[in-house]
Amino acid sequence: MMGRLLSRIPALLRAALVVVGIYLAATAIFSGLLGQPIPASLMTMYMFFVIVGVFMAFTFTEEGARAMAAPIRALVENPALRPVRNIVFLLVPLAAGAFTYTKMLPSLEAPVELRTIHPAPPSTFKAYGKRYDLLTLENPFRKYEKEDPERFRALVAEGGKIYIRNCQFCHGDKLNGRGPFAPALNPVPLNFQDVGTIAQLQESYLFWRIATGGPGLPEEAAPWISSMPVWQNFLKEDEIWKVILFLYDYTGHRPRAWEK
Amino acid sequence: MAARRFISPLWSCLAFTLAFGLSTLVLPVTTVQAEAGNAERGKLIYARRCALCHGEEGDGAGPGAERLNPPPRDFTEGQYKFKTTGFDDIVPNDADLFRMIRDGMPGTAMPGWGDMLSDQDIRDVIAFIKTFAGLEEEKPTIQVDYGRQVPSSPESIAKGRALFHEGDRCAECHGAEGRGDAIKKLKDDGGARTWPRNLTKPWTFRASNDPKDIFTRITVGIPGTQMPSFADPKSKKRLTIEERWHVANYVASLAKTDKVPRPENTVVKVMKVEGALPTAPDDPAWEKLPSTTFLLLPQLIAKTRFFTPSNDTITVRAAYNDTALAILLEWDDRTRSIPGDPKAEEIADPGMGEDMVAIQFPVAVPKGMKKPYFGMGDGAHPVNLWQWRSGTADKPQSVALANARGFARIESRDPASAGLTARGRYDKGRWRVVFTRPLAASSPDKDITFQTGQFIPIAFAAWDGSNGETGSKHTMTTWYWFLLEPDTGLRPLVSALIVAFLFGAAELWWARSAGARKPEGEA
Ligand code: HEC
Ligand code: HEC
Ligand code: HEC
Repeated sequence: MMGRLLSRIPALLRAALVVVGIYLAATAIFSGLLGQPIPASLMTMYMFFVIVGVFMAFTFTEEGARAMAAPIRALVENPALRPVRNIVFLLVPLAAGAFTYTKMLPSLEAPVELRTIHPAPPSTFKAYGKRYDLLTLENPFRKYEKEDPERFRALVAEGGKIYIRNCQFCHGDKLNGRGPFAPALNPVPLNFQDVGTIAQLQESYLFWRIATGGPGLPEEAAPWISSMPVWQNFLKEDEIWKVILFLYDYTGHRPRAWEK
Repeated sequence: MAARRFISPLWSCLAFTLAFGLSTLVLPVTTVQAEAGNAERGKLIYARRCALCHGEEGDGAGPGAERLNPPPRDFTEGQYKFKTTGFDDIVPNDADLFRMIRDGMPGTAMPGWGDMLSDQDIRDVIAFIKTFAGLEEEKPTIQVDYGRQVPSSPESIAKGRALFHEGDRCAECHGAEGRGDAIKKLKDDGGARTWPRNLTKPWTFRASNDPKDIFTRITVGIPGTQMPSFADPKSKKRLTIEERWHVANYVASLAKTDKVPRPENTVVKVMKVEGALPTAPDDPAWEKLPSTTFLLLPQLIAKTRFFTPSNDTITVRAAYNDTALAILLEWDDRTRSIPGDPKAEEIADPGMGEDMVAIQFPVAVPKGMKKPYFGMGDGAHPVNLWQWRSGTADKPQSVALANARGFARIESRDPASAGLTARGRYDKGRWRVVFTRPLAASSPDKDITFQTGQFIPIAFAAWDGSNGETGSKHTMTTWYWFLLEPDTGLRPLVSALIVAFLFGAAELWWARSAGARKPEGEA
């Protein structure tokens, strides 16, 4: 049914529909789901490949090529279509001229900065004048969750105090990345409520990120633009561990554990 | 000043259809009667979500409070700022509290909770916070009388303007242009520093700048602060209901929409001008150049940090000619800070410094992605810092030049050696400062060279000396872009014409040859 309907649409139109469909799907996925519109320059590049690909697929057989060309040939050769032809023949040079004009104007679109949000951590790193091994590093307070729940509650509460005095300005007091000063920042402070941040990470990774901040990131994460402060300059080691307890407690996420 | 997310129209259409479909499905189930707030349940929510700022005891002294201005509300006082009950009735409507808690209070640390707490949760927490001041049984008795709303019109705005200025009614605190440039030092009942609202920045209004909200504020005042009620018959500056609508319409008209920071505006476009550059801060030529406004945040990454800024935006314009460039920085500042001047000292916080502003450029324009660290560069990537200082009672304004490789490695240099100048002017709550420098660096290994068509990283910092902003305590931006627009002349137009002509010619040729092949078609 669907197939028959499709085959009745001229090949050229079908090809155009496929291209438009891919374009719409890509914009919807990027700006809707990922919340980040694709920069126009990247989009142009993707669409170029898409068009070439679709064209090749449709003209793979000789028959296919003829079917694709048929409407264009008809336009030029069929006298009944002459008014349409005249309009098309007027529009095409105009469009080409307009395209050239806009391309010749200098681009005022800011360069695209792509960065990895969660880069692979180093296996060891230095902070507080010591070297930490990320493979074995654990939150020293996590064990109290089972062993001494009362003490654990107190540690979480201390973590909350540290958070509200230091982190809420950017990450927000709801931990959703929308603190009062977050709108002034790019890259944005991360949203800990989201399932894509701390819920995917181990406590040792968080410790590394918090202790060494933006400047501690590897190059693929563009450390020079991250405003995440270097917290070993402001907080003690155990304070970082406590604030990590608070992040998980407030959001209800669980830290990721090593797969056994 | 919520960050507005760009959502493609197609996507929002889809989401809307989906949401609409779902809501028609679940609507019959969810229309339950609103339940009265339950203070017991509210207590649990409060302990988890609110106590960190408002304090376990509701006294506004939670661990977060010390670094916040305005400070979190002290609920034991039972006094609320944004209410719609009469100025002489301390009890707010539940709906007033509901609105502040659900939507939050822009320009403060108080966020909107509507996305995390259900309506019932909010009613519960309201029932609980009222117990701190024994308000649970109290009912408000006097409501704001709105009379008949006067719709906004040029006449109403003109009347409102006159009333705003009459006897310095509002201008005394909110300034002649509404920028909140106070002529006296204001404190709230708890002793915390308060700044009169900058009425040209609607995004900092706690309760929106809709005329109805402004009317409410003028009628009730903002309890606990020096913002008075203008409905109080005892007030010498009292206004009638109709007059209050005129003033509200005028205040709403002050919103400077061309200076709203937008997340998509990341480039300072520097235009080519023929002849002399505008170098005076109030040269009318500036108005013709495009402006870009950036959000400032307090310096939170290096010792000593700063948490309580008095300003949140900076506006930039720039132009260049064959040899030099000029940059105009414009930012609202409620106080002209002149250390050593008794009048300025009176309004300022103790230890006043000069007002200052700075621009940061990389010394070498990065080839790839890699920039210097946005906080004053790093060991391998130094930055240029251009700083203007407003002067003291016995020292005129000045310009400074430094190169930095991080916070701790700053080398002061002679600004004259680089040809750097800066001149500023303060007028009615706003600084305007113009920097100029030749395009070419006199020492290319130490100073940036400006070339057209290049995206150059740029960042800004500002100091309000009366707000305790000195040294590392200041506001700042992260990296944005600075672009000297290349002068293309007629080239694009000529090329476009040639391309259009070639296409047209090819089409004609094609049509002709097709016609020649099928002469019978022409019959
Ligand atoms: C000046 C703003 C600012 C402050 C203050 C701040 N952060 Fe951040 N933080 C950021 C930004 C921006 C990012 C995202 C960029 C990055 O990954 O470095 C981030 C990222 C993070 C990450 C990485 C999360 C992930 O999914 O990889 C963690 C963890 C984090 N912050 C924790 C904290 C903690 C804990 C505090 C308080 C002690 C804090 N931050 C204070 C701005 C800030
Ligand atoms: C990050 C700190 C913070 C948190 C957390 C917080 N508040 Fe606030 N709240 C504030 C500040 C700051 C103000 C004062 C704003 C002002 O004076 O303009 C405030 C003011 C208020 C007011 C007074 C409104 C008025 O008209 O006077 C209410 C009510 C309130 N908060 C309720 C809550 C409730 C309920 C919660 C928890 C669900 C909460 N707050 C959580 C910071 C916070
Ligand atoms: C004695 C000083 C003073 C006078 C006079 C004064 N205000 Fe205010 N006003 C303030 C202060 C202080 C605030 C900020 C209070 C706070 O929220 O901390 C304020 C805040 C406001 C707000 C912000 C409301 C919001 O939702 O954030 C508006 C609007 C306003 N005033 C309008 C007026 C108008 C109109 C007049 C004259 C009819 C006036 N004010 C007279 C001191 C004053």
